[in-house]
Amino acid sequence: MASTTLQRNNVHVSGRGTQPMLFAHGFGCDQNMWRFVTPAFEDDYRIVLFDYVGSGKSDLSAYDAERYSTLGGYTQDVLDVCHALDLRDIIFVGHSVSSMVGVLAANREPDLFSRLLLIGPSPRYINEAPDYFGGFERSDIEGLLETMEKNYIGWANFLAPAIMRNSERPELSSELEASFCSTDPVIAKRFAEATFFADNRADLAAVTVPSLIMQCSDDMIAPSPVGEYLRRELPGSTLRTLEATGHCPHMSHPDETIEVMREYLGTPIATPSVALIAE
Amino acid sequence: MTTGADAIDPLLDAEPCGFVSFSDDGAVRVANQTLLDMLGYARAEIVGKHIETILTVGSRIFYQTHLFPLLRLHGSAEEIFLLLRAKGGEDVAVLANAIRRERSGEWITDAVLLRLIERRKFEDALLEAKRAAEEATASANSHRAKVQGANEQLEQQALELELSQEQLLAQTVELERQRSLADDANRAKSSFLAMMSHELRTPLNAIGGYVQLLEMGVHGPVTSAQAEALGRVTRSQQHLLRLINDLLNLARIESGRVDYDVQSISLNDVVQATVPMIEPQLATRALRLEVDVPLGLLAAVDREKVEQILLNLLSNAVKFTTPSGCVSVDAAPASDDDEMVELRVRDTGVGIPANRLEAIFEPFVQVENSKAARVEGSGLGLSISREMARGMGGDISAESTLGVGSTFTIRLRRG
Repeated sequence: MASTTLQRNNVHVSGRGTQPMLFAHGFGCDQNMWRFVTPAFEDDYRIVLFDYVGSGKSDLSAYDAERYSTLGGYTQDVLDVCHALDLRDIIFVGHSVSSMVGVLAANREPDLFSRLLLIGPSPRYINEAPDYFGGFERSDIEGLLETMEKNYIGWANFLAPAIMRNSERPELSSELEASFCSTDPVIAKRFAEATFFADNRADLAAVTVPSLIMQCSDDMIAPSPVGEYLRRELPGSTLRTLEATGHCPHMSHPDETIEVMREYLGTPIATPSVALIAE
Repeated sequence: MTTGADAIDPLLDAEPCGFVSFSDDGAVRVANQTLLDMLGYARAEIVGKHIETILTVGSRIFYQTHLFPLLRLHGSAEEIFLLLRAKGGEDVAVLANAIRRERSGEWITDAVLLRLIERRKFEDALLEAKRAAEEATASANSHRAKVQGANEQLEQQALELELSQEQLLAQTVELERQRSLADDANRAKSSFLAMMSHELRTPLNAIGGYVQLLEMGVHGPVTSAQAEALGRVTRSQQHLLRLINDLLNLARIESGRVDYDVQSISLNDVVQATVPMIEPQLATRALRLEVDVPLGLLAAVDREKVEQILLNLLSNAVKFTTPSGCVSVDAAPASDDDEMVELRVRDTGVGIPANRLEAIFEPFVQVENSKAARVEGSGLGLSISREMARGMGGDISAESTLGVGSTFTIRLRRG
């Protein structure tokens, strides 16, 4: 079971520390996206990287349309990886949609996690007038789905998705493109729907694990009002606004991202129970 | 030169494709005149702005989730479909090739944007065809479910008919009323079946046609695995079509909508024309065939229909006879009626239980025999055959001894 999960999710472990840092990639990418930040933590932590089933170099034969039709399936992937490696006291680092996957995982098994580091999180991408501003209308997401569909024609996956995962043609599968952004179009569409149509606002109040919200400046996917909303609704959260612009600060501004993460990890966790013991 | 913009080569400015350069933080540095014309912007309205300014919202999300990571991690991106947003608000579809490289100490992405007009129509048509094919499959499935429903209804009606016949024996007054009710139900059933069969054949023919186009490579090269899968689709489609054709035939006959072109025909000619059609099956199962039909024996029949009946009886005989057995065909004037002739098909097959001899002429009935393997077929052949024989003023009957064989007798008017 354990080895199956490790192969299924293409899990890679490195680093010289003991406390695990589990990095969860966002929609559209795979674990490669972390390569600019993980070296900074290798001396002090045990780095765990993985691909969700359906992304990167995961085992596509393990894809189950029903399981991955909601973020619940992706949450189970995270918990499966934690159990397979028997991880405890985990620092969870999630980008974009994986922030909410982290929230859901921490609600399912709070004892496994020590902190959640959420990069560009959003509990709801679609506006809910009049009270909630997520940044998008439903038609915007349909525009994304159309763009994705057209791109899968261009990448030849449209007619023959199997070509890209054909082990008899290593010249294709060994290239970075082969694993990056080359998911089966049906899987990619379902992941997009699971991500952008999700509404996790009701899951925030139950979170007991302390968290850091890393809000980028001028991020069209997770705009500032969303970061503010999370700070209010997510118990035990700290909001940090980065100078970095865009939605992928760990790729565009890795130095600032590392600094903010380190700073937060260096702060003691202030919980009521700790305060009582200190007295 | 506009503030913040890099100088632009006149040749690049006039290239027949859009060109844009932007920094890692998305700020546009260069936009050529072709791109400006494409979008209806003045240069100063784009240069210095974020690249997202000229993208639709859907394409902005795609840029942030796919394109930016691809450029940052891989350094280039090719054949990316994007929808640009023109100043007037309309969408402009382009295909982009982009490369990210260091220039004067800064990372810059250069992208060429090729406008898609005809190609986009083609791609839209392709996606539309794919969706239509998916819908056709779903519709075929739902029709199949309806046929199943019709079958159940049919069985239910047959059951009701049986029950009412018992009552008829007891009450002759009730007889006429019940029969007329049953006839109405039967007509309704037949016209429903005929209508449904037509409805079913249309999507099935579409499936066949589209599969053929795919096999011919009209929509692009077909791998051997795909060709094999398409072959399976074709075989299943043809099997389903045969079943539906049988259903349609039965419905037509039962509703009295079949014409008979009756002429004086030599039964020997009929047998000689039919036998070659089953010779391959005879050879496969190593069966012997004996034919004894007098040359001058004539029947008043529709030749095509009597050949169809004979072929059906011969196919059944072959199907139900164990290898190295014998199938025989003979004909003679009826011993009990000067006006009739009889054409008989005998086999040395598994036989039919006495209590099932009449039931086999009912639609959808096959004799269940634990020793014999299940034989493929719709169970409509015998009922169609009997209806056609009756339509020509004749009939079909069967005699059988289990384990010894069966004899089917077609009675026809003498010609």
